[in-house]
Amino acid sequence: MAAPLAGKRVLDLGALCAQQPHALAASMAAMLCASYGAEVVRPLPEGGEPLANTPPLLPGGGSALDRFLNRGKRTGAAAGPFDVAIGDDAALAAHAADVPIRTRISVFGPGEDPPMSELGLLALSGLLGIVGEASGPPARLAGHQAAYSAGLAACTGLLAALRAGGEEIVDVSLFDVAAWLNWKVAAGVLVLGTAPVRGGERSDWHTMPAKDGHVALVYQEKDWPGLRETVGDPRLLDARFATAALRRANRPEFLAILTPWFTARTRDEITVAAQARRVPIGPVKWPVEVLTDAQNTARGFLASDGMPQLPIGWNGRRVTPEVADAA
Amino acid sequence: MLRDSNLPLAGIKVVDLGWLTAGAASSTILLDLGAEVVKLEGPGAIDPFRNWDGAQPDTDWWNHSPWFAFTNRGKRSVCLDLKDPRGQEALLRMLEDADVLVENYRRGILAKWGLDAATLRRRFPRLVIASISSQGEDGPDRDMVSFGSTLEATAGLAALTGSGEAPVITGRDVNYPDQVVCLFASGAIIAALLERDRTGEGAHLDLSQRELTSFLLGEELIAAAAGAPSPRLGNADPAGAAERVVADGTGWRAEWPGGSAPVRDGVALAAADDFLRGTAVLRSPDGKPAKGIPFRLTNRPLAVRDACHTLGADNHAVLGEAGLTSEDITALEDAGVLAVAPRRGIVA
Repeated sequence: MAAPLAGKRVLDLGALCAQQPHALAASMAAMLCASYGAEVVRPLPEGGEPLANTPPLLPGGGSALDRFLNRGKRTGAAAGPFDVAIGDDAALAAHAADVPIRTRISVFGPGEDPPMSELGLLALSGLLGIVGEASGPPARLAGHQAAYSAGLAACTGLLAALRAGGEEIVDVSLFDVAAWLNWKVAAGVLVLGTAPVRGGERSDWHTMPAKDGHVALVYQEKDWPGLRETVGDPRLLDARFATAALRRANRPEFLAILTPWFTARTRDEITVAAQARRVPIGPVKWPVEVLTDAQNTARGFLASDGMPQLPIGWNGRRVTPEVADAA
Repeated sequence: MLRDSNLPLAGIKVVDLGWLTAGAASSTILLDLGAEVVKLEGPGAIDPFRNWDGAQPDTDWWNHSPWFAFTNRGKRSVCLDLKDPRGQEALLRMLEDADVLVENYRRGILAKWGLDAATLRRRFPRLVIASISSQGEDGPDRDMVSFGSTLEATAGLAALTGSGEAPVITGRDVNYPDQVVCLFASGAIIAALLERDRTGEGAHLDLSQRELTSFLLGEELIAAAAGAPSPRLGNADPAGAAERVVADGTGWRAEWPGGSAPVRDGVALAAADDFLRGTAVLRSPDGKPAKGIPFRLTNRPLAVRDACHTLGADNHAVLGEAGLTSEDITALEDAGVLAVAPRRGIVA
């Protein structure tokens, strides 16, 4: 089994970070290290694991967030030699001054840590403002995407530093990562002088109600004939709907034709019909449905308790984390 | 081009068959960490990012797409027809000396050309092959057509996103899974290089964007499996704090216990001091905006070191380094297998 970090010791200071976005990003990066085979040690503050009472909470007690982010780690003191430490500026200074690779999570860059939340990061990076229904308020991405994406970036940076050897400080700005993800908006302004906006002219991808839930209506101009044939309503041949611009201009009429077709059918029926014409429509699935999804089952992605594997097939096998929780 | 032999991936050679963001921007992160990246496109199959609204017929429009240059700045460019057996053979020569192959073609395309991962692994046991795909290499949905926002739906993200009645996808301007996969895939590739340092063996990495999107909701999957699924929470924080988005004049404001922030649009973002000081968007040496770098290294400063190369600009140099003679290369050019222009006109 692949274990690229076998023999490496990683100090996870996620439980000692002053702010939650930093804590979640550090915990994610350290969890990835554990999945890659490192021995990960997580010192806890006096009050114990800060994620232990953080939603989502489990009926039998405990926190799903704690279980997910702390899998494959053991709790313990920040003692002994480590190859890598991950935390915020203060936690690294206090506990990891002599660790050769220090991965430092910040809001805006080294030493710039004003009070911040994940919602604030999404707001400042534009990722909040660009997402949401055309007529509604901005919508935050579900879960902890702002922190987790920074955790992914932190892991990539520290893996690179490990490969280089020697001492390194890997700085990951939560804001920079969120703005990096939102590059189309930022680059739109810098390159063309205009940025896409929520509900703007490119917002013709959205969810549609179906008989048993919703589907994602996603299609490019080349897919329009396929979508039109999928729905099969002759009124869609009307010149008012011939181009994306026209469909936009005649949106209420367009949706008045489309909507009854979707609401009369199940998500599966819609998906099968669209995919037969290679239109990239898919069902909106709730997490409980993701658990029993045939694709995930076939690929062995989820354990029976819902725990996802690291999302890599490595020479056709999973990179299964060792469960070493000695807490 | 500036080369920095201190960078973590100095000496690593990447052949980049990545398209659009998911594949191409993963390779860009490797480039910024010091790898040499050869972007390989075909005269009949250029990166769709080369098609852009400002493309002017009767010009070399394919060399002027700001979106292509933004993502692919600094890569060497080879334009080689992989549908032609001579093109396939030339790619195999390039792979003799390569460390990493990145691809996000539709599943089955490489296999059709006899370039499937198993064959390549046998021939080049030290090669790390990163296959980035929507659904993964196998399973009943392997061939399901999806863009990033389709995967938000099938992975569970859309159901939990949205402040109103309907679940929300991010749409054309974000396609979140296409962006976030680059942060993960680049790390997985470096992990595979570390594993190769340890064992001498390369690897085939099967990276499913749908799985990654679900993985990034791991706690919600665990809660659902335990019989305690979360509802759609709108703009409230899943971790419980009283967070909300409120109307603020003509715009919106995010509020949470301890702070608040304006909901920026692109214009506000691009003008913000924190953005200008940050690394999300940088500049190429030619002054053009360039995809930034999502981290900094204190001892090995990272930078955008080179501007965008024109299509096929490095055909001769790269194939020459791969051992082809100038006669071989000229023959490929004469046959149209090696080119500096696409065969087709602008694709809308």
